[in-house]
Amino acid sequence: MHSVYARINNVSATLSTSLMILLAAIACSSFLFTANPTGSVNISSVKVFSAEARRYPNRQQEFAFVDFNITADLSPLFNWNTKQLFVYLEAQYTNTQGVQNEVVIWDRIVVRKEDALLNYAGKNKYPFRELSKKFKNIPPANYTLKYNLMPYVGLLTYGEAARTTAPVAFPLAKERVE
Amino acid sequence: MFAEELKSLRRLGFRHVLLQILNFASVLASGLMIWKGLGLVTNTESPIVVVLSGSMEPAFYRGDLLFLTNPPNTRYQTGDITVYKIPGQDIPIVHRVLETHDVVKKVKGVRESEPRPENQLLLTKGDNNYADDVELYQGLEWLQRQHIVGKVRGFLPYVGYVTIAMNDFPQLKYALLGGLGLLALIQRE
Repeated sequence: MHSVYARINNVSATLSTSLMILLAAIACSSFLFTANPTGSVNISSVKVFSAEARRYPNRQQEFAFVDFNITADLSPLFNWNTKQLFVYLEAQYTNTQGVQNEVVIWDRIVVRKEDALLNYAGKNKYPFRELSKKFKNIPPANYTLKYNLMPYVGLLTYGEAARTTAPVAFPLAKERVE
Repeated sequence: MFAEELKSLRRLGFRHVLLQILNFASVLASGLMIWKGLGLVTNTESPIVVVLSGSMEPAFYRGDLLFLTNPPNTRYQTGDITVYKIPGQDIPIVHRVLETHDVVKKVKGVRESEPRPENQLLLTKGDNNYADDVELYQGLEWLQRQHIVGKVRGFLPYVGYVTIAMNDFPQLKYALLGGLGLLALIQRE
């Protein structure tokens, strides 16, 4: 009853149970913080150029280059259980074959609350390509700023911070950079 | 050292040993049942995975425990963190979805009205990697829905490090298993 084994067993059982309950409580506490920050996305220009495809050097493919401005204050999302924020700008469009596309063109990882005030102007970080290799006749795309909140412990949550007011059209491909 | 234990084992008799073995087996079986039951509910072959690489830092570190679900007939979205396994690759990879293309297939020459989730094409990337995962797809152009084991829903840090330690030092695994087995046999309740 009062052997060393029994004591070790009891202590470790109590420890692990209380740790589990504490972790569960912390995970649940995330549901109490319901911040819904908003911001704005502006697409200043979209250009399309033809270039060599990535894996097939002698094949041509069109790439879109998007210049944009983002402003958003995401600091309300930071609470005691926020480990990091994955912020990403996504283009959404449906092509002429009915294929629905979502392409992330820019992302940023925010770890500190001080960095959560986004004010960024720049161009896409990742290549923006079309399945059919060409952006000709592709309907205009919507651009959305989204975020993924990752906790220290618990469930991952997703949200949308901003969206372009009107779809932005793809121009015709240019031969050369002006 | 073990003389006393052996003596007590002999005193308790054969039936007691059998009972303890049965107990041990039932613990193992219930563990397996919980694992498989979770797999059924979440529709993935492995509902809990351990992160083995640093390609998703600072989101996930080595040894973090991830909880997965793989609901059928739902599409994946950009920003989702997926676990995928491509045939010919032995270790499942945890990476984030960067592109989704919901392809409309033609059935008997007629184009379907809506894209179906199982025809979705995806491109993934590790948060900590510079380039996307095309080089990991074993020659495939896109990741297909059928390769996906699940989507990361929940997260528990560090706990999975035990399994990494056991893989790195197999002696630890045998010591732990042997110790547990011995304890189960000797226990007298």
